[in-house]
Amino acid sequence: MVLNAENVRREYGDTVALDGVSLSVEQGSVFALIGPNGAGKTTLIRSLTGTTEYEGEIELLGEPPKRTDTQRIGLLPQSFDPPERLTARELLEYYGGLYDDARSVADVLADVGLGDKADTWYESLSGGQQRRVCVGIALVNDPELLVLDEPTTGIDPAGRRDLWRLLDRLTADGTSVVLTTHYMDEAEYLADRVGLLADGSLVATGPPQQLIEEYGGRSRLEVEVAEDVDAAAAQRAIEPIGTGVDTTGRTLTIQGVTPRAIGDVLDALDHAGVEYDALSWRQPDLESVYLALTETDTDDPPAPDTGERAEVLQSG
Amino acid sequence: MSATRRIRAETTAAFQSFVRRRTAVFFTFFFPVIIILIFGALVQTQPTSGGLFAQPPAYYVPGYLAVVVLFTPLSRVGSTVARHREGNRFEKLATTPLSRVEWLLAHTLVNVGIIGVASLIILALVVTVTDATIALSWLLVPFIALGVALFCGLGALLGSVAGSQDGVIAASNTIALPLLFLSETFITPSLLPAWFRPALDLSPLSYFARGVRAATMGPTADAYGNLLVLCVLTLLFLGAGAIALPQTD
Repeated sequence: MVLNAENVRREYGDTVALDGVSLSVEQGSVFALIGPNGAGKTTLIRSLTGTTEYEGEIELLGEPPKRTDTQRIGLLPQSFDPPERLTARELLEYYGGLYDDARSVADVLADVGLGDKADTWYESLSGGQQRRVCVGIALVNDPELLVLDEPTTGIDPAGRRDLWRLLDRLTADGTSVVLTTHYMDEAEYLADRVGLLADGSLVATGPPQQLIEEYGGRSRLEVEVAEDVDAAAAQRAIEPIGTGVDTTGRTLTIQGVTPRAIGDVLDALDHAGVEYDALSWRQPDLESVYLALTETDTDDPPAPDTGERAEVLQSG
Repeated sequence: MSATRRIRAETTAAFQSFVRRRTAVFFTFFFPVIIILIFGALVQTQPTSGGLFAQPPAYYVPGYLAVVVLFTPLSRVGSTVARHREGNRFEKLATTPLSRVEWLLAHTLVNVGIIGVASLIILALVVTVTDATIALSWLLVPFIALGVALFCGLGALLGSVAGSQDGVIAASNTIALPLLFLSETFITPSLLPAWFRPALDLSPLSYFARGVRAATMGPTADAYGNLLVLCVLTLLFLGAGAIALPQTD
């Protein structure tokens, strides 16, 4: 284990930011922390890296965080803003100069895809490019454990994928990564294990697929029937196929429909003479887990679906 | 060797970051020039008339130097600490080998360099504009360096305590202004009430002013005692400033 935390607790006055969090990270693996704003992700990152006080036990590379050899860890804090009026190259030279042994600045710039922006002032880079410089700063000492607090915030989709590929290469070489993110696709793609933090507690931990199977619910098919169709009649027509059908306005949601069973639903609708405008199928994903375990206020408007969705049919 | 490498990296970055902020550079040098032009050239000294500016022009050299030795490091280091806190830079630095003492030492070196240049300009300007007769003693070097370092330590303290850059600026002005005028710089002790005069010894800037005055006007021997006190105070303020620098949230 490169990181082991047992019963970590952190309070700020009367507010409990972390309430008995335990987790472990194996060498060469990626551990992603997800959770709502204010769940305690950044406090946990700070506890793990020794930049805040905490109760409980933490071993970072075999030592308490404040005694860990700083040469071996690379941290990108949340909302990190490096010294101003320096170029990307100068920033990496600066942070590299703080270590006894640092990587070649040119190599780090190439890794984060900024070789052609080396002599551009940090302030003149785009938000995504700035964040990539910050990731480069965390990499400059060639750390064994990389701790990244929201590393891809502000980076465009192509830039995010570049960074994912970089993290893939690093972990393949044995680097361990702990990161926080609000992007569920990022956690699902990168992480070997995911920890879902809510109200200071780790409410679920495990490989993404395992969490999805446990908490993500079943796949579902949504049918938007035509305006002049009696939705209740349509529901009766397809009830025998799915394991549960809900109707909201013109939308029928059928739980537990496999891709193979979509044809059966269409046949049943045709047989009953039900016309429909749109049909979509959604597989449970990490976002389903996130929503299932963190949504407690039913008055909140529903979060947008961003999981894997197949637009099966759009009919006139 | 490692510490030297770290301090060099921090010093280089801090220096580059400063000299590229043109406005900051301009006003760092322009502020004392304005003071000299106002008091040295416009108001001028009136040695026989009593009251303010009744001393020979050379008497006010420590005051002109104090403008940069006091204000610049206090506000610059204070603001730098505040900016570092706002950008979570100390959180990052806490996970690097750079210690708080090394950080403060690096920023002190940058300030000593910048204010050393500003002091040379001030001395040249004072001699030219006010016809002050001063001795260019080597003792000016340690006095300026120690004075700058002392107020870098105080600036680090302010930056660590104040909640924002605005807070640092307000606090540094509130502290610096009375210090500038109540430290035997521009106002002689005889112009102050007798009961207040012992309080002059509480200002670190008084030892700077007395020492610089002794070094430039004589007797030089009087400078050494003040240099010793300034040296001790500098170590205390630098130590306190380094300890106060944030290492955690």
